[in-house]
Amino acid sequence: MSEARPYGIMAEFTTAAAIIAAARGLHLNGFRCVEAYTPFPIEGLDGVLHKARRPWVPILVFVGALVGAVYSYFLQYWAAAIDYPLNVGGRPYNSWPAFTVSSFEITVLFAVATAFFALLLFCRLPRLYHPVFDAPDFDRASQDRFFLCVEARDRWFDADRLRDMLARYDAVHVALVPS
Amino acid sequence: MTEAVQQEGYAPLVAPEVTLSSIGEQISHIVLQPHAPRWWWVGFSFSFTLFLLLVIAACWLFINGIGTWGVNIPVAWGFAILEYVWWIALASGGTIVSALFYLTRSEWRSATNRIAETMMLCAAAPAGLMPIFHIGRQGLFYWIFAYPNVMGIWPQFRSPLLWDFVCVICYIIMSIFFYYVGLIPDVATVRDRARTPLKQVFYGVLALGWRGSARHWATYKTVYFIMAAIMAPMVISVHSVVGLDFAGGLTPGWHSTQFPPYFFFGAVISGLALVIMLTLLVRWGYGLHSVITERHMNALGKIMLTGSVMLTYSYAWEAWGPFYGSDVAERTMFLERVFGLYGWLYWTHLALNAFIPQLLWLPAVRRRPLPLFLISAGIIVGMWIERFIIVITSLHRNRMPSMWGDFYPTFWDWATLAGSIGIFLMLFFLIIRFLPIVSIAEVREIMHREQGG
Repeated sequence: MSEARPYGIMAEFTTAAAIIAAARGLHLNGFRCVEAYTPFPIEGLDGVLHKARRPWVPILVFVGALVGAVYSYFLQYWAAAIDYPLNVGGRPYNSWPAFTVSSFEITVLFAVATAFFALLLFCRLPRLYHPVFDAPDFDRASQDRFFLCVEARDRWFDADRLRDMLARYDAVHVALVPS
Repeated sequence: MTEAVQQEGYAPLVAPEVTLSSIGEQISHIVLQPHAPRWWWVGFSFSFTLFLLLVIAACWLFINGIGTWGVNIPVAWGFAILEYVWWIALASGGTIVSALFYLTRSEWRSATNRIAETMMLCAAAPAGLMPIFHIGRQGLFYWIFAYPNVMGIWPQFRSPLLWDFVCVICYIIMSIFFYYVGLIPDVATVRDRARTPLKQVFYGVLALGWRGSARHWATYKTVYFIMAAIMAPMVISVHSVVGLDFAGGLTPGWHSTQFPPYFFFGAVISGLALVIMLTLLVRWGYGLHSVITERHMNALGKIMLTGSVMLTYSYAWEAWGPFYGSDVAERTMFLERVFGLYGWLYWTHLALNAFIPQLLWLPAVRRRPLPLFLISAGIIVGMWIERFIIVITSLHRNRMPSMWGDFYPTFWDWATLAGSIGIFLMLFFLIIRFLPIVSIAEVREIMHREQGG
């Protein structure tokens, strides 16, 4: 067991302030593969731990919306003007004002669906099992405790050194997470 | 006065004795407890009975056709249509509370938004059923979908009725996404508290393996914000298009440019009324007074009042329009609506939706559960009557005097109404039994801001 390479080392904190301080400290010390697990979103924590990324979610949602708009308008245009042209009171076959309503609804439907699948994609969900679930006390990460995990793939990973460091940041409990 | 302002400005949204773990425990306990409380069983059995009535009414309808209802020419749109409008308005109220007030960063929304979203999903069920019942050949309702078929024809995309169908189906699907995204962190909390294997698996699968990592939360916040920003205009469009169903017809009393906003105002007030009633019910039943406080009721009451004022404006316009215009049919219909066979309904709905809600100007009324509950119940009845007036009185005095006629509902009309309430309540009771009814993560965020730490 002790020979096997662990997934990482997990520290447990009792307050949000403590975990932010610890996250800052680890980052300043050069640790880059650190992840926090908290019961509610803590503002700025992601910014401390991870490099800023391009806003991929909004970009994807925009693309999804665009696909929905083109699809829905084209469907109506093709059905009403090409496949089965029906003269209604002499109005143009391509009656675009009348087509905007359905186009809008389907556009926003595609946008919301894309947002949902983007959430799954960027969170790598569904993934029912993950090594961090084996960390002691981890079920409290969704209740009242704040966890910080330095992953073993970090180039400066050193379990003994991290143990001391995390304890200095008021971690109430530090433990190795088996992989 | 200053005291009231102060209290409003500084009273905490979450009672000070609530902690991060106590809120999780309280909400999880509701869904994890092995036996539901007695009031839940009473409510569920009652609604299930009504639901069975709906099943019988639907079977009777399928066997005999819509002649079992009171609809006929000239009043060919009856209870099914007016209840469709009524239910979709109630559903919209849920989205207004959860999406619109998320965008305005109204913190009070957080304890009530899940109740509102649950309500919206449950109300979508009867709203979706009613038009299907109404069309007569229920088995062929799928003809309205745009799909390639052997008949070689397409739905009429220029018709407001088709727009309405597209709106409603998109709205229901989007609502499910929106509801589920908000639910994921909370079912993760429940999962970690579940102690029996069955519940662990059930909530574990629903939570999709949510870990609450910093990256998860950052993505979640972005996605939730985008969804709210889309849902808010979406819900306005949904109910406006319901208004267009009517405005697109030439019938006096329908053919009016004010219908889309008028219907949306109706959705605000009736949706809020139902949110208030259900919030009070859940708060009383599960003892959630520390999470759903007076401040929440106060805020909901104010919005309902705003809805009432906007609706009163529409009523005034509706009364003034026929006399400003030159259409004799509009005037005839309006006078018949106010003083004719259904005149008493007109005055009742005016009292329930426009006059009585003005009591909400008084802070004391907004803060007390009982008056708030009664006013809300009055509004829900009043809004049903409003739809009755719009749908039926307009048709019964159409342009040609030779096609004037009255409408009398039959037993099966009333059975369908009762049954639609049954299916709504049954779904609501089921969801509040098995899924977290308060957004735990959001309440924790507020506590974090209010209490520090």
